[in-house]
Amino acid sequence: MLAGVLLFLGSTVIALAQDDPVPPKTLTPGKGVELTTARCVICHDATHITRTKLSRGEWEFNIKNMIERGAPIAPNEIAPILEYLATYYNRDAAAPAPVPAATASAGDPVTGLLTTHACTACHQTDKRVVGPSFREVAAKYAGNSSAAAMLAGKIRQGGSGVWGAAPMPPNAGVPDADVRRLVDWILGQK
Amino acid sequence: MNKNKYLNCSLDVSRRNFLTRVAATGAALSAGKVLAQEAPKPPADPAGTVANSTVMGEKHAGMVVHSERPLTASVPAELHHFAATPNDRMFVRNNLLTPDIDAAQHRLTVKGSVHKEVSFSLDELRKNFPVVRTQAMLECAGAGRTGFVPRPSGTPWSVTGGMGCPVWNGVRLRDVLRAAGVQNHAGYVAGQGGDFGVIATAAPVIRSIPLDKAMEPHTLVVFGMNDGPLPKIHGHPLRLLVPGWAGSASTKWLHTLTVLDAPFKGTYMDTSYRIPRDAVKPGEKMPPDALVTEAWPVKSMITYPAQNAVFKLGQSVLVEGRAWVGEGAIAKVELSFDEGVTWQTAQINSATDKYAWRIFSVEFKPAKPGFTTALARATDDRGNTQPMAAKWNPLGYFWNGVHRVGFVVEA
Repeated sequence: MLAGVLLFLGSTVIALAQDDPVPPKTLTPGKGVELTTARCVICHDATHITRTKLSRGEWEFNIKNMIERGAPIAPNEIAPILEYLATYYNRDAAAPAPVPAATASAGDPVTGLLTTHACTACHQTDKRVVGPSFREVAAKYAGNSSAAAMLAGKIRQGGSGVWGAAPMPPNAGVPDADVRRLVDWILGQK
Repeated sequence: MNKNKYLNCSLDVSRRNFLTRVAATGAALSAGKVLAQEAPKPPADPAGTVANSTVMGEKHAGMVVHSERPLTASVPAELHHFAATPNDRMFVRNNLLTPDIDAAQHRLTVKGSVHKEVSFSLDELRKNFPVVRTQAMLECAGAGRTGFVPRPSGTPWSVTGGMGCPVWNGVRLRDVLRAAGVQNHAGYVAGQGGDFGVIATAAPVIRSIPLDKAMEPHTLVVFGMNDGPLPKIHGHPLRLLVPGWAGSASTKWLHTLTVLDAPFKGTYMDTSYRIPRDAVKPGEKMPPDALVTEAWPVKSMITYPAQNAVFKLGQSVLVEGRAWVGEGAIAKVELSFDEGVTWQTAQINSATDKYAWRIFSVEFKPAKPGFTTALARATDDRGNTQPMAAKWNPLGYFWNGVHRVGFVVEA
């Protein structure tokens, strides 16, 4: 539309009508970015976060609001997500330098896979969200020698009916090595 | 996706009910997997939805997209320089995805505190009730949010974004409700639409309005826009029109009306779409006695000239705009060409529908070259005048600050 120049005249409170520049489409790398992305950037794109800096209290309200609207955020995930948002998108305090992705991702490699392949959009370790918790899955198939192959198939092809009506979507693109590591890890949850 | 899923939707918002209803959308998550080195992407649109590219393909090139998911988009003030807002300039504000609904299969059910539950196909609505046509304002509660300083959370509509005033075709909501027979103890009506989210847990968007407003003759069940079909993005095949009120009450993709004894309880009533009785300090929480957003306060915008337009000295400029108020009538519009020091009264065209905007104009002949601004402020018939800046509130609703446009006069 209009030349992308923001014009503010003098000290007036009435800015001349201009649309914002397009906000970043990904979240700033830093501690908590994977969890925040996995839980939030499902129903809405990342610009809903990057477009406006808010106070810590407003971020807290937003998280509560989003949980009411159906965001799959477990109670113990509220604090780390709030910390991330209030660190990198705080109206009242300057954001620290981004932490490069390699550093931010350091830690449990399986946790990274769970996020990367969007498993955590529906599953958590100890709590049923959209799908069963990983612990429930491990308990159900404990001692079942064919469970690993069956679960690998479930990840690949999806399914429904075992844990309720909500379907597990197919995930044909997950590399074999990742599927094996995920299945081993899931069956090891206690 | 089974189109018939829309037939059996109820106002039951239990997770189980909703999970079953949107089961097919789960397939979306498969596309949500991300490669390790890539920026995370949200899951792809599920089946049974209309792609953003299709929606935006029918929109004006000047429409600005504020969010791709959920899709929100709007045009700047100068693109509203029409008597009625054309389809391609009507703002887009989804809460969830854009459902693709088969009109032939679609039914509207009326239930709850009624004497008899009834349901109608589109043909039956047209056949059973008088078909009416009215031009009326529809405006998102958060329209103009970028005017607030500091910026609250929510869609960053420009100060004149997030609203429009097309012609609507449909039947009166009161006729449809009377066909079911509203019980004496009822006081509210909630609309529910067929839009759904990417994940099964996404809460349905349900809003209720008081019966008084529901029975107002301009409150419609709409099946047409600007005398043509209702576009998919604007609620095809059926939507509510609650004229002049916060847009979220005008449920798109409407399939169920539930008559209630008390306001609907849900996140889109109790947490969102609330406004404090008075301004709050930026950053402070919503006061517990905050109100449900209903009628828009008085507001106006300048549609001509466009921002940064260029004129020659000596040339007369017919400065024109639109003014409206959620309930009531526009009594006066004033313009200022000296940043609000002096104001002159504009001419108003009042020969339009009750809830339509009013067109105002003032002929302005710049006295000297340079950068010049025009400010517009409207006053309603209850004596409310637009403020320079709207009262700050945590969700950034009802921005109705004075609109200001700058243009250049060349020697």
